[in-house]
Amino acid sequence: MAEMNTSDSGSHKKGSKKVRTKKMSTRVDLTAMVDLGFLLITFFMLATTMNKPKTMEVNKPAKEEEKVKEPPIKMSKTATLMLGARNKIYAYVSPDEIEAGTEITMDSIDYSPSGLRKFIQRRQSEVKALYGDQDELFIMIKPLPASNVKNIVDVLDEMTINDVKRYAILEPNDPIDSLIALQTGQRRK
Amino acid sequence: MPKVKIPRKSTSVDMTAMCDVAFLLLTFFILTTKFKPQEAVAIDIPASTAQIPIPDKDIMMFQISPDGRLFFGLDDQITRLKLLERLSTRYELQFTQDQKDVFKLMESWGVDIRNLPAYLDMSPEERSAYQQPGLNIDTTGGQSQVEDLILFSRQENNNLRIAIKGDKTTEYRHFDRLIQALQNRKVNKFNLITSARTAQE
Repeated sequence: MAEMNTSDSGSHKKGSKKVRTKKMSTRVDLTAMVDLGFLLITFFMLATTMNKPKTMEVNKPAKEEEKVKEPPIKMSKTATLMLGARNKIYAYVSPDEIEAGTEITMDSIDYSPSGLRKFIQRRQSEVKALYGDQDELFIMIKPLPASNVKNIVDVLDEMTINDVKRYAILEPNDPIDSLIALQTGQRRK
Repeated sequence: MPKVKIPRKSTSVDMTAMCDVAFLLLTFFILTTKFKPQEAVAIDIPASTAQIPIPDKDIMMFQISPDGRLFFGLDDQITRLKLLERLSTRYELQFTQDQKDVFKLMESWGVDIRNLPAYLDMSPEERSAYQQPGLNIDTTGGQSQVEDLILFSRQENNNLRIAIKGDKTTEYRHFDRLIQALQNRKVNKFNLITSARTAQE
């Protein structure tokens, strides 16, 4: 305003008055900025994937040709789980020696705690009664082609949950396996 | 008695501190966010009680889609380029600089190696719309292309760990083909990628 006046009045009284700018407050209203900040935070929080996927380590036995000869495991220490289609497990225990007239009972179980877990725990206690240590139990996992990845993960998980020390993923090569596959109407290979 | 007059206070609060906090958090989230890379195929991973987090680097990742298509990915761009060099000599393919640049940025892919140059020549839109047929795991005529990928990648970076990401519903026969290829290359140890869950009682 002061300047406007001086320019109006021309050259007369030039510079006699100091031009004074009004002292403004340095405070700015930050509300909008905070709003924006939190909006972006919300976005990034939602976009972040916090839980990293976990991994499960799988060790497969080496292929036949390089396999070191191991003493055969007593079949009465083992349990076989065949993973079939439609989330079914065919579980059986084969006897030490198969003779004519030997009967093998095969259970058809599912992946629920009352199915698979109960079976494993029952086998653990049976093996403990026979050999004095439940860690002697050896579980053979034999996935059939129609089972899926979730089934394998679930079974391996169940091994960890029940603390089964010895297990392996094998191919269903046993004659009993073929018989079961045939009986349940599934392809073996 | 005179009325007690309460002085009227301004309702505006000093926002400076709040603003500082907001932007501090914002910076944190911006820096920690790792956007999901564009995936070749949607994969719904199964859940397990496994507690080991997936390592940050040196990962060779195989993905298997529900219909059994196989995809391959390396996490490191330098190894990706080295792998491409090896592939170009093995399969007698010539890659241009543009193609190399595209390949360097690809998280995962699943095409026959012989069709790789054509795939790399596509525009980004075409590439994302293209339905990838999956890697060629056919073993006719010696070792399969997948075995070559495993072998070359591991020769370029021998700390590589192998991770397999399979969909819940992927059938075992697809999974088994990959495992056979891995075992042919003497890999007997690999990791299955799962999401976390707690054991039900």
